[in-house]
Amino acid sequence: MKKYLVAYSISLQETLQRRSTLIMDRVGGFAVLLSLYSFWNALLGTKPSFLGYTRPEMLTYVLLINILRSFVFTGRGWQLVGEISSGRISSYLVRPLSYHGYALSLDLAQKTVHVASAFFEVALLSALVRGGLFLPRDPATWALFLAAAVLASLLFFFMEFMVSSLAFWTSESGGPLFCFELFLAFAAGAFFPLDVLPEGLRRALSATPFPYMVYFPARVFLEKVSLAEGARLLAIEAAWLAVFLAAALAVWRRGVRSYAAEGG
Amino acid sequence: MTVALQTKGLTKDYRSPVKEPGLWGGVKALFDRKYKDTRAVDGISFTIQEGELVGFLGANGAGKTTTLKMLSGLLTPTSGEAVALGHVPWKREAEFQKKISLVMGQRTQLWWEIPAYETFRLNQAIYGIPEPDFRRNLDELVDLLELGDHLTVPVKKLSLGQRMRAEMAAALLHQPRLLLLDEPTIGLDVVMQKKVREFVKAYNKRYNATIMLTSHNMTDVVELCRRVIVIERGVLLYDGPLDRLVERYAGHKILRARFKTPVAAEDLKALGTVVRVEDNSVVLEVPRDRIAASAAALLGSYPVLDLDVEEVDIDDIVRRLFSHS
Repeated sequence: MKKYLVAYSISLQETLQRRSTLIMDRVGGFAVLLSLYSFWNALLGTKPSFLGYTRPEMLTYVLLINILRSFVFTGRGWQLVGEISSGRISSYLVRPLSYHGYALSLDLAQKTVHVASAFFEVALLSALVRGGLFLPRDPATWALFLAAAVLASLLFFFMEFMVSSLAFWTSESGGPLFCFELFLAFAAGAFFPLDVLPEGLRRALSATPFPYMVYFPARVFLEKVSLAEGARLLAIEAAWLAVFLAAALAVWRRGVRSYAAEGG
Repeated sequence: MTVALQTKGLTKDYRSPVKEPGLWGGVKALFDRKYKDTRAVDGISFTIQEGELVGFLGANGAGKTTTLKMLSGLLTPTSGEAVALGHVPWKREAEFQKKISLVMGQRTQLWWEIPAYETFRLNQAIYGIPEPDFRRNLDELVDLLELGDHLTVPVKKLSLGQRMRAEMAAALLHQPRLLLLDEPTIGLDVVMQKKVREFVKAYNKRYNATIMLTSHNMTDVVELCRRVIVIERGVLLYDGPLDRLVERYAGHKILRARFKTPVAAEDLKALGTVVRVEDNSVVLEVPRDRIAASAAALLGSYPVLDLDVEEVDIDDIVRRLFSHS
């Protein structure tokens, strides 16, 4: 266990060391936040609600996107792809270490920094927001939201891990990951609540794991789902997590075997 | 004596996609991919005793790195067996991994943005090195490798030589019983090469560790290894004392001289085989037992500006070996 704690700690140091990358990342995220906010602000105009979201709810959704993005969508996908194609992965495979545990520790360090920064940005913007934000009062809502967000981040981690592991076979390894990420942000509701989509498409998406990553936790937070319904969806989210955890481990094992068979 | 490493008929085939040249070839490969099997290592058998320091030689692409990767457990062989420190390497058991280290000169395990010391701490945790052992090993390594205060500087600020030595320290903190070194001196200047060599020798002596090393640098091999294993195109060509290999296949050294004025090639023939004459300089192949005499003759009879005696390039010896077989 200690090795993962140390990995977390030095990854934290490194993330802070790469100040310019971090700042650039955050400025980019803030720009998205700002443009989404202005967009919805303009769309709402003087209307009291839109698509079933009141003004404070919609603005809260937008701010939640920023926090959930920082918490859920960090992952280690690109690093894994890079390490596989450069062969650096070898240096992990010869050491007594679980690469998953290691990558998870590193990811946690990233999340720590990004979430802290996201809270700061949200505080900054909400100070400027007219009309206030929606904050749930019921502690059960908070608990459900936290659980949904934690599962979401693990779900994303293993899903991305699985897709990145395809780099063991494809020589132009970034391709699958790039497609995945492009689709993901849209399907997860990280640009807009999925209520915006036509009924059919929304239904189809709800049968996939994607909405559980942003849309579902955000709706829990906004108390758009009852606690009972929330618990049911949480169980489905957990089932998706189990599926992708198993899939990620299986793809990884096969990938390592093929790497071992074909060489790096 | 205990056997540290033993292989029997170790064989490795690589499968690689074949693409016809040009755009059309690329389009075709999209639908109908053809593969080619290449035998990188072909039925290699050898035994290495504990505490031996063995040079592993061969031209580029001869299969050296592939063999080291199999012995460290990174690659699974197509066929054949290997036992290293009582384990089958490619099972990748933690117990085995704690006893070995693979250092590839062109790869790094150090974290780039932060000081090497942090990677050491990580390795301490990974290998479960108790604190007192960690401190003692680190002190020794810092001392042997003359790392001094390089450990508190971000790795990216280190020179190649400093980084390579930090890399060695990171790989040796857990005191591996078996050390696989792939081109440990590549890209280093002469002074650094010497330091790394001295270190490898000292490590081998102090811990009775088994070391297998590949190098293109003949000096590395001559100074470190009494025994060498030579492979060419995956096949084992020679396994035995280095002395015999050098006597047999490199009975000469290279003598380079630069003169104040041009010298006729004809006149130099008496001193050795003339390889090349260019303006004021000459390259001769001189039998080992005549090196001193030839050098003295050159200095005595010609206006010499500069004189160098070098070992034959390792690739050269290997090529000779290959053409003999």
